[in-house]
Formats: sequence, C-alpha cells, structure tokens
Amino acid sequence: MEALRRKWIPYFFLSPYIIFYLAFGLVPILFSLYVSFTSWDGIREKHFVGLDNYLFLFDPNSYFFKSVGNTFLFIMMTLPFQMFFGLLLAVLLYSRFVKWKSFYQLVNFLPYIVTPVAVGLMFNLLFDWQTGFVNKVLMLLGWTNEEIYWLGEPGFARFVIAFMLFWKGFGYIMVFFLAGLANIPKDLYEAAQVDGASSTHMFLKITLPLLKPVTTFILITGIIGGFQLLEEPMLLLGGFAGGASAVVGGPERCCLTTVWNVYDTAFGSTTRYGLGSAIAYGLCMIIALVSITGYKFLNRGEQE
Amino acid sequence: MTNSIRSVISTTLISLLSLFALFPFYLMIIMGTYQNEDLFTGIVLVPGSYFLENLKTVMESRFDLVYLNSLFVSITSTVVAVLVSAFAGFAFAKHEFKYKNKIFAAVLLTMMVPGQLGLIAYVIEIRYLGLSGTLLPLILPWVANSFGVFWMTQYMKSAVPNEVLESARIDGCSDFTVFFRIVIAFCWPAMTTLALLVFLWSWNSFLLPLIFINEPELYTIPLAISTLGSAYRTDLAAQVLGLSLGTLPVLILFIIGSKSFIRGLTAGSVKG
Repeated sequence: MEALRRKWIPYFFLSPYIIFYLAFGLVPILFSLYVSFTSWDGIREKHFVGLDNYLFLFDPNSYFFKSVGNTFLFIMMTLPFQMFFGLLLAVLLYSRFVKWKSFYQLVNFLPYIVTPVAVGLMFNLLFDWQTGFVNKVLMLLGWTNEEIYWLGEPGFARFVIAFMLFWKGFGYIMVFFLAGLANIPKDLYEAAQVDGASSTHMFLKITLPLLKPVTTFILITGIIGGFQLLEEPMLLLGGFAGGASAVVGGPERCCLTTVWNVYDTAFGSTTRYGLGSAIAYGLCMIIALVSITGYKFLNRGEQE
Repeated sequence: MTNSIRSVISTTLISLLSLFALFPFYLMIIMGTYQNEDLFTGIVLVPGSYFLENLKTVMESRFDLVYLNSLFVSITSTVVAVLVSAFAGFAFAKHEFKYKNKIFAAVLLTMMVPGQLGLIAYVIEIRYLGLSGTLLPLILPWVANSFGVFWMTQYMKSAVPNEVLESARIDGCSDFTVFFRIVIAFCWPAMTTLALLVFLWSWNSFLLPLIFINEPELYTIPLAISTLGSAYRTDLAAQVLGLSLGTLPVLILFIIGSKSFIRGLTAGSVKG
C-alpha cells in the first residue's frame, strides 16, 4: 500500500502544471496548426486549403518576410548594444571601484518594468515632430533648423524603435550578467593575481569565458523575446490618438513586427485566422532554424 | 592608473548610464504635473503645480476600477503560477518517476516555443468555453509557466537538503505537509523572484486584453492607458499622468523587492 501511495505522489505534484499546459498551451498550438491549413474567419465554415496559406507567405502582400525581416533588424540593432552596455555596467558594479551598488542596480533596471504601452507612448511624446522634447532640444542647441519628422520616415522610425528598445532592455541584461559574475569563483582571480596577471588579462581569460553560459542564455532569450515585439512599436507609432488602430506597421510598414502582423491579419484589418496561424508557424520554423544553426555554430567553437 | 582614478572613471560612466535610464522616467513624472498648454510651449524640467488637477481628471475615467482589475489579474496569476511551478519543481527535483527526464526535456522545449504560436486557437478556445467577457482568459496562460517550473526545479535541487526531507518523512509527515512546511521555507528566495517576474509580465501584458476585453469595466492598466487618448482627448498632461500611475505599483514592488530579486537570480543561478 505504502509503495503504491508513494508512487502516486510525484504525479500529484506534477498534474496541475501538466493539465493546464495541455489545456491552454498544447491544445491551442496543435489546433492553430490545423487552422493554418484552412481558410477561416472564425465564424463561418472552415475550408481546408492545404498549403495555400503557407505558399501565400511568399507573396509580398502577406508582409511575412517583411515583418520577419523588420523584427530581425530590430534585434540586430539592439541586442549587441544591450549586451555590451549590460556587461559594462555589471562589471563596473561588481568591481570594488563603485559605491551605492544596489542603488545603481535598481535605477538601471527600472526601464524594464515600465509597461511597454507606456514606453511606446512616452517615446511617441518625446519624438513628436512638433511638440516633442527631442526636436525642441535639437533646435535650441542649433543642431537642426527645422523639425525632424522622426516617426514619419522609415529610417528615423526604425532608429527611434531601436533606441527605445535599447533603453528598455540594457538594465535587464545587466542583472543576468551580475548573476553570472557572482557565480565565478573568487579564488580564480586571486590565483591569477598571484601570477601577476593584469586586470585586462583576467577579464579576457577568466571573466569572459566563464560568462559563456549566461551569454548564451541572454542571446537565446533575447532573440525569442525580440520576436514577441508588439506593444512598443504599435503605441510609438499610433500615439495617444490612435492606440491599437494606428496605421499598421508605421511608414511603409517599415516597423511592422511579426506579432503585429499576426494580430493585424487575424484580429485587425482582416479576420484571416488561417493566414494568421500560418504566419505564426512560419515564424516558429524560422526561429527553430536560427536556433539550431546558432547552437551548432556555438558548439563547433567549443570543440576547436 | 591609480585606484582613485579608476573609481572616478567607473563612477562617472555608471552615473551617465543611470541618468540615461532615469531621464525618460523623470520626464514622464514631471510632465504629469503641468497644465496641458505648458507642455506644448516649452521644455519642462522641474515639477509643475498642476498635479492634483490632472489627478482629478484621471480619476474621473474610473482609473480605480482599472487598478482593481489589474491587481486581480496579476495577483491571481502570480499566486497560482508560483504554486503550480513549485509543485512541479518539487516533483522534478525531489522525486523519482517514470519518464522523468523525458518530461523535463519537454518542459525545456516548451520554453523555446514563442507564445504567439497558439494565440489564434486560444482565442477560439476561450470563445468556445464561453469565457470571453471575463478576466479569466488573461490569467489562464500564466498558470502553466514552463520557465517557472525550470526555475523552481533548478533551485530546489541545490537548496533543499534531502536529509531534512527524509527525516520529516520518517517522522510521519506526508509529502503534502513536507511541501508546505519545509520546501516552501527553503525556496522562499526563488519564489519571490519568480513572483515578481510573473506579476510584472502579467501586469504589463497588452495583447491578450486587447483581443479579449471590450467592456471598459474590465479594462486592465495597459489597455486603459492605450485608450487614454479617447478618454480625455486633448489633455496630454492627464494622459502622461495616467502612464505614471500605471507604472506605480510595479515600481513600488521592485523598489521593495529589488534586493531579494537580484539575490534570487544569483542564487537560482542561470546556468544556461
């Protein structure tokens, strides 16, 4: 009896997670796969259309590759800088040269906790071409004679989004680097110091290599997180007046992210559930491809 | 380079970055204390005197109700998600069962799946279950949190000594009692960190309320903020104050919890 009872226990503790994951995680994911092979508006009859939705992804009118490209671009424009400054901050905070460590830690982490909707709206105000803080300061300093149309030109709009995302995320990445630094055994540095190593040398030979697991974690979560991008560009470009009903994707859809594309296809300007699901699955395949390639690339470096 | 020069350089660098991090924040708070017209004419850098008037305008749009909705969603999500994750973590870290490693690998795999993959079908599922028009669809996706399960498992493996569990069992405690009396006590730091994260994520979530919530009585903070423009159309100052007010609860929470948050991250150790 006792043995039988013991056998049951782990399943009991596991079951809430499993049940909820199946019900509200796996079932929707599988059902979405099925929906992606249909033409459906959510109300009328579904029609099975085979691979049509996936083939349509290659049509420029689906904006699939455009939105994936935009999202990639935003990740490339922000993640490296976030990681550089995040690491710099963490190393500075971890050194013995800086006081008030927890104060600085908190201050730099704060941008991450602001509601993305508020971030988008705040930067919309700051970069407004008529009344925005940025243009006012630039004109006051005499660096430009006429207002810059920040959110109306594709190039500028992308820059503002990258700038905003950098601001929001570098402190978050700092926290993970701090955690990583704390896990490096102190005696390694002491031994190196006895051997007369310079601090630059120690940083390159001890700190950086031992941070590799954390760096990989940040890279992977950064890329996956980056593909969830939606609120900040949506509210930045729509502002208080437009909100979610803003011009989709900004000027020439240069800032249309993939999730925005899914949302707009299924719940925004059209109700094409099938195509929306196909966009989500298309994105997932691309992420998987990138992760596998990246993983192989990193591992190859290990063996050499 | 002497140490004092190093510390001057380091402190300057870190102060500059901190100023950069704080500045938009600071402007957000400052702009909410001005009268609307002042925001259009000049650059504002010091606090104004119109804060209470703006606050009155914001409160007229039932911001208190919005607060309650958001608090309900975030507190429920947090408590349930942390408990469910700790339960599963206990099973993975301290029990042996069939297919354990395979199931754990599956949990890791689900962490990699982007959240929007099942979004459209989730909307249909909620409609089918008749739950649209309630706050439940905003809570359910947080319950089974794979990151939380991974997090709690890693922490419990190293933080809860097996000897303590064994002696409690020998004393006749059921695993249920062991969990609530002992495991939770050992895992408090990791649970705090996870709770802060889930609270933050659910508080800030926008896509789900945007899809599911149509009635203003059920608005959560991000949704209410995004419609501030139509609530008081031309009053920019009141809109900005709304942004500050929406951020306030998480701000307070992280100022109180920042020490244990970072300690929890460090102890839980992100080993990749």
